[in-house]
Amino acid sequence: MSSPAIPRPASVAAMRRILRPARLPQRPVTATPESCRSVCSGAAATRPGALNASSLRSPPSRARIPRPHLQPAARSYHSHDHPPPPGPFTPAESALLSAAYKRVPEHGFTQEALALGARDAGLLEISPAVFPGDGVFALIRWHLYTQRTALADTVDEVAAGTPAGPAGVAERVERLTWERLRANEAIVGRWQEALAIMAQPSHIPASLGELAQLADDILYLAGDVSVDPSWYTKRASLSAIYAAAELFQTTDTSPGFRETRAFLQRRLAEAAQAGAAVRSVGQWAGFTAGAVVNVLRSKGLRI
Amino acid sequence: MAARSAFRRALPWLPRSPVASSLRQAHHVPSQRPFSTSLSASTPNPSSSKDPSVPDYAIPDPSRPTHFGFQTVTEAEKRERVAGVFASVAESYDRMNDLMSFGWHRVWKDHFVASLNPGFSPLGDPPRAPQHILDIAGGTGDIAFRLLHTAHVVNGNPDVRVTMSDINRAMLTVGKHRAARQLPASQQAALSFVEANAEDLTKARPLVPYPPDHSTSPDEYTGSEQPFFDPATATTGIPDASVDLYTVAFGIRNFSNIPAALREARRVLKPGGVFACLEFSKVVSSHPAGALFDAVYKEWSFRAIPLIGQLVAADRDSYQYLVESIARFPSQDEFRDMILDAGFVVAGDGYENLTGGVAAIHKGMKPRE
Ligand SMILES: C[S@@+](CC[C@H](N)C(=O)[O-])C[C@H]1O[C@@H](n2cnc3c(N)ncnc32)[C@H](O)[C@@H]1O
Repeated sequence: MSSPAIPRPASVAAMRRILRPARLPQRPVTATPESCRSVCSGAAATRPGALNASSLRSPPSRARIPRPHLQPAARSYHSHDHPPPPGPFTPAESALLSAAYKRVPEHGFTQEALALGARDAGLLEISPAVFPGDGVFALIRWHLYTQRTALADTVDEVAAGTPAGPAGVAERVERLTWERLRANEAIVGRWQEALAIMAQPSHIPASLGELAQLADDILYLAGDVSVDPSWYTKRASLSAIYAAAELFQTTDTSPGFRETRAFLQRRLAEAAQAGAAVRSVGQWAGFTAGAVVNVLRSKGLRI
Repeated sequence: MAARSAFRRALPWLPRSPVASSLRQAHHVPSQRPFSTSLSASTPNPSSSKDPSVPDYAIPDPSRPTHFGFQTVTEAEKRERVAGVFASVAESYDRMNDLMSFGWHRVWKDHFVASLNPGFSPLGDPPRAPQHILDIAGGTGDIAFRLLHTAHVVNGNPDVRVTMSDINRAMLTVGKHRAARQLPASQQAALSFVEANAEDLTKARPLVPYPPDHSTSPDEYTGSEQPFFDPATATTGIPDASVDLYTVAFGIRNFSNIPAALREARRVLKPGGVFACLEFSKVVSSHPAGALFDAVYKEWSFRAIPLIGQLVAADRDSYQYLVESIARFPSQDEFRDMILDAGFVVAGDGYENLTGGVAAIHKGMKPRE
C-alpha cells in the first residue's frame, strides 16, 4: 500500500497486450511487477478479438487459472481497496448477457431482459438461473465492462488531432470520458434503476471497482504518464466526476446530452483549478444514494 | 418403535456396519417387518397379474383383516396407522435435517428455489414454453413442493410440471402422502413420482408405493419387498433433452457414482437447461470468522449430531454416516470442476456459498451444441 512502485492497475496491463497505440506513451515495462502481470491476466477476454482465453471456463478450452485477485503485493498506492474487478465472463455468461443486453433498452436491467435474451440466444427461459448470485447485477457488469473496454477501440478516433503534452492529455481525458458517457445512450432511461442495484451493499465493492477501473483506463488511454502521487488523486477525482456526470445524464433531456457534456467540462475545469480534492468514494456513494432515493420516489415512496 | 423401524427402512441407503446390523438384529428381530403389506399383496402371485379377472383381494374392504407389524388390524385401521407411521418418518426426517443444519436447511431450500425462479416467463412473443422440472433424490418433496409453489403461485405459471424422482420408494411414498395432504389439487396434478437411480435415468418406472397401500391394485403391484428401485422392473426412462431444470438437494453426496449422475443430468437436460445442486459443503476457512465456524461446526457435526441422532431416532450409525458423507464430499471448487468435466458451462465461480460454506449451491448450464 505504501510502496511507491509504479501504479499498475489491473485492466491496463491486459489492455496493453491488445492495444499498443503507437503514439501514446507507454509506462516503463521494467516496472511491471511480475505478480501483477500474472494476477492481471485475463481482464479483457470477451470482446471479439481479445485473445485471452485462459480464464474461459468451458470444457474444451479451459485452463484452471484462478480468477484474477489483486494480491496485497500488487496493490500499489492506487489503494483500490476493492475485490478483483468483474473480470472476463465465462462463455455461458457471454452468451446470455450479450443477448439479454439487447433487451435492456426496452426491459431494463431485469429478469425479463435475461429471460428474453436467453430465448433470443436459442436457450431457455430458465437458462439465466445458472448465475450463482444475481443475474441482474451480472447484466449491469456486462454493460460496465463492455463499454469500458470498448473505449480502447475508439481511442485513435477520439484522440485524433489533440496536441502533445499535458494540454493534450486533459483534452483526451475529456473526450474519452464523454465517449464513455455517450455509450450510455441506449440504456440511459434504465440507468437510475441500475445505480440503485449497484448501491446494494453486496454490490458496492464490484461497482466501485469498475468505476476506478474506468478512470484508470481513461487516464491510461489519454496517455497520462505521471507516476507521482497525483496518480491517485487524478483517478479519484476522475471517478467522482464521471459518477456525477453519469447521474446528471440520467435526467438530461437536452439533444445529444449537450447539458451533460457541459456539466462534464465544468467539473473537469474545476478539478484542474482546485487541485482535485479526493472524495471519490464518498462522492460516489452520495450520488448513488441520490439515485436510490430518486428510484424509490419514482416507485411512490415518500422520502 | 414402529416409527423408528420405519424410519430406518425409509432410509436404507445408509450403510450398515456389521456391528450395527448385528446390534439391530438383536434388538429388532421381532420387528423386521414392522408393517407388512396386506395379507394378499404380500404374497403376490406373478401369474395373477396377467389374469384379467380381478381377484377379490384386490377390492378394498375396510373391514378385512391385515397385518400391521405383529398385530392384526383392519385395512382401514392399517391405512390410518401407515399414514401415521409415514407422518412420523417425515417428521423424524425433518428433525434430522434441522439438527444437521441448525435449522438452516429450510432457509437454504427457500433460497435455492427462489434463485432458480422456476416458471418465470416474461409475457412475450412467442408465448412461453411449458417447463419440465426433474427433482432428483426428491425424498419427501421439500424441493418439489417449493418449485411448484414458486412456479404456479409466485410466478402464476401453471405450465410447469415437476417430476419427483428417488431411488427409494419408501421416501417417495412419504412424499406422495405429503403431497396429497399439503398441495392444492392443481399442483398435485402437475406433480408426478418416478422411481429411478440418478446414475442411470434410462431405467425408471412410475412410483409403486412402498409398502403398497390399497389404492394400488395387486395387478399393478410388481414391486419386490425392497424399498429400493430395482432396474429390472423398469417400464420407462427419462428421455434425452426432455428437462428444463434438474434439481438435486442433499442427495448427490449419497450417490455412489457422482460423475455418472452428472452425465445423466446432462443427457436429460435440453440445451440451455440448468443443473442445480444444493448440498452440504466445505466451510470457507480463509475468513477468520469462517475458520472459527469451521472448527465449531466440525466439532458439532462429528460429536453432537450422532449423539442427538441416537436420542432422536436411536440410530447413531445412520447419523454418523451422514456426517462422514458430508466430510468426504468434494470441496466447492472440486465439485464445480466435476460439473465442468461432465460438459456443463458455469457462470462466475459456478457456485454460491450459503452460511459461510456450510452448504453451497452449484449450477451449470448445458450448452447448445
Ligand atoms: C437427504 S435425502 C434429500 C431429500 C430431499 N431432496 C430434501 O432435500 O429434503 C437424500 C435422498 O437421496 C436419495 N438417493 C440416494 N441415492 C440415490 C440415487 N443413486 N439415485 C436417486 N436417489 C438417491 C435417497 O433415497 C434420499 O431420499
